Amino acid sequence: MSVSDLPSQRVLEKQLSRQELQELRNKRTGLTIFQISWILVFVCLIIVNWQLRNGQVSWPPPGVEAPSPLLPTVATLGLLVSVWFVRRGLRAIRADEQAAFFRYWRAALGLAVAFVAIVAFDWVRIPYTGIYSDVFRMMTGFHEVHALAIGTFMGMIYRGARAGNYGPGNFWPVEGAAGLWYFVVFAWILFYAVLYLI
Amino acid sequence: MASITAPMGGETRSIPAPSPRIADYLRWSIDHKIIGVQYIVTSLFFFVIGGALAMLIRWELLTPTLDLATNGSQYNSLFTLHGTVMIFLWVIPMMAGFGNYLVPLMLGAKDMAFPWLNAFAFWLIPPAGILLLLGWFIGPPEAGWTSYPPLSTLYSPDGQTLWAMALHLLGISSILGAINFIVTIRNMRPEGMGYWQMPLFVWAVLATAIIQVLATPFLTGALTLLILDRVAGTSFFDPSNGGDVLLWQNVFWFYSHPAVYIMILPGFGMVSEVLATHARKPIFGYRAIALSSMAIALVGFTVWAHHMFTALQPELRIPFMITSMIIAVPTGIKIFSWLGTLWGGKIHFTTAMLFALGFLSMFVIGGISGVMLASVPVDIHVHDTYFVVSHFHFVLFGGSVFLIYSGLYHWFPKITGRLLDERLGKLHFVLTYVSFFFTFFPQHIAGLEGMPRRIAVYDPMYTNINQLISFSAFVLGITTFILLYNLVHSLVAGERVGANPWRSLTLEWATTSPPPPYNFVGDPVPFEDPYGYGTEEATAYLDALDRRFPPPTKLPPTAAVPHPEPAGD
Repeated sequence: MSVSDLPSQRVLEKQLSRQELQELRNKRTGLTIFQISWILVFVCLIIVNWQLRNGQVSWPPPGVEAPSPLLPTVATLGLLVSVWFVRRGLRAIRADEQAAFFRYWRAALGLAVAFVAIVAFDWVRIPYTGIYSDVFRMMTGFHEVHALAIGTFMGMIYRGARAGNYGPGNFWPVEGAAGLWYFVVFAWILFYAVLYLI
Repeated sequence: MASITAPMGGETRSIPAPSPRIADYLRWSIDHKIIGVQYIVTSLFFFVIGGALAMLIRWELLTPTLDLATNGSQYNSLFTLHGTVMIFLWVIPMMAGFGNYLVPLMLGAKDMAFPWLNAFAFWLIPPAGILLLLGWFIGPPEAGWTSYPPLSTLYSPDGQTLWAMALHLLGISSILGAINFIVTIRNMRPEGMGYWQMPLFVWAVLATAIIQVLATPFLTGALTLLILDRVAGTSFFDPSNGGDVLLWQNVFWFYSHPAVYIMILPGFGMVSEVLATHARKPIFGYRAIALSSMAIALVGFTVWAHHMFTALQPELRIPFMITSMIIAVPTGIKIFSWLGTLWGGKIHFTTAMLFALGFLSMFVIGGISGVMLASVPVDIHVHDTYFVVSHFHFVLFGGSVFLIYSGLYHWFPKITGRLLDERLGKLHFVLTYVSFFFTFFPQHIAGLEGMPRRIAVYDPMYTNINQLISFSAFVLGITTFILLYNLVHSLVAGERVGANPWRSLTLEWATTSPPPPYNFVGDPVPFEDPYGYGTEEATAYLDALDRRFPPPTKLPPTAAVPHPEPAGD
């Protein structure tokens, strides 16, 4: 079920004027197109990984040890759980349940921070091994920049909510941040599979 | 279907045509019309720079030895900056300018879906242009606009890094602009305008925007790797350290071949508007033209490796040859549809129409040489020769630039409320047409005779043909100043016209020239067929528009309109 199908959605939208509804529709469409477009940068980097590994006799190249998938797997699971918290947080803000929103959003932010820390740890500790470490660092680093930027944005949303800026009549910033976080999670799942599983 | 003869839905309040000040165009504005003009003027500025670089290139090639440049590296920098400026700072932003100005008007909307984002996308362009040109002073890029490694990684100075950063900014601008177009077109059409009632220019912009959002991310990816190789010591394109030089070519062309359609598809939309309006005839094959834009957008993603035939695994050559030939089919559909539109039409040889006709002849030459190049044996034979240079200039100058000129003559009255001088326009057309032909057609011959591209010193056997090309190019360069003079002169002293001097049926003409800040007073009602010329209903609709927005001369509307005569609407 997508964010736009949440139960209180239709009721809330009925309260909007024609112009507000149009603006909300535009923002949702715009975010979706942005997600489709920008995920292709990640797809491009996966193709780069694929072409470079095809040029090697094995991957990782002989003599190079692949990083352990244990911590990244934990981080990935945490990231998936964060989606649930973000969705619950969004639902809470639409229902004007501020306390619940703070609880869920804090949990999501905590998981986001843990994820960023674990990936950064992996990024730092992988030894230089030529093209393998170049690709690994480039992909994880590129994702990390997105996780950091969007995580920071989620933090700003949290602060905004503390100031009482969001509620049933103004939930788009929260919905937009949630959509961007889903993007981060989806992009990581693609990278995780390529970097640690395949 | 009920006839629509009341273009403003019964709205009767009068709106005076506004007079925007120059200062409005020099600062941040979220009005799509001001942003559109900002795009147009900025890209014209870069057109002059790119053109000056072309003149220097042709000056250098007047003789077989080094004249202007003191070494090959300087010459490399000239054609690198020329290609980059012309593609990324002239044609693409110019098309975005037309799109920004026209799409909301054609849809009867007050603005784009995201006005702030629209302005932001534009304001990324000037710093990108400055960044690119700054490279000239710290060691200009030398690897060509395609920037293949290792030329762009090991053998090009720091300006190459600025080149990559500039293209990054332009790519982001392009994606943001495209998102805006798609959302605007999808969500902001007026009542009564389904997809099949949209003007073909809007269809073309939609197809272009789809390409931009799907292709430009690959350029972003490639540029990121290039920058990392140059500044962070990575080796993605360095085979001696596990990298792959062909990686760049694959990813770059996966963007850059569709980019050709980013540059030409909006022009295809413009020519549909111009031909139908100035031939006073319904467009032939509306749906075929609309869908062929989408087909080009789709098939455009399957042809990139034809740029790499000489480096490609042999078993992949035939599939890419086939897809490259297939893409000629939707383009051919358009050409025949435009010819069908002209057939039996009441053609008015306005400058806009002349450039549209000029486009048809020149673009077909570029299309035919494109099909020749899609053929693997021919491509391998003429690879990296002037035949290729000729081909893409017939497509991009004979195609895109001719259509930009056509669009400028057609929509200048809407943007300014004044006509461009038609006598100067016709002089501009004739000189451009002839000098363009003699600049670029002989390059086919030079290429077939074996003259390589991207060289400053060549075999003396090519001297005569190069001198013919260079002198024609100088004339072509001068023609640009006729246009620029006409633009400035007409802005001040051009004949004032009313809302709809061409008696066109699309919605951008259903408001004052120039339009007010919010485009329309009330909600405009689109005519049931944007190309339904030649019917009584169309004449009634256009007459109602003339009554609603009387021409400034106070004469009866039809007497004040120079082109075309109302009979035959």
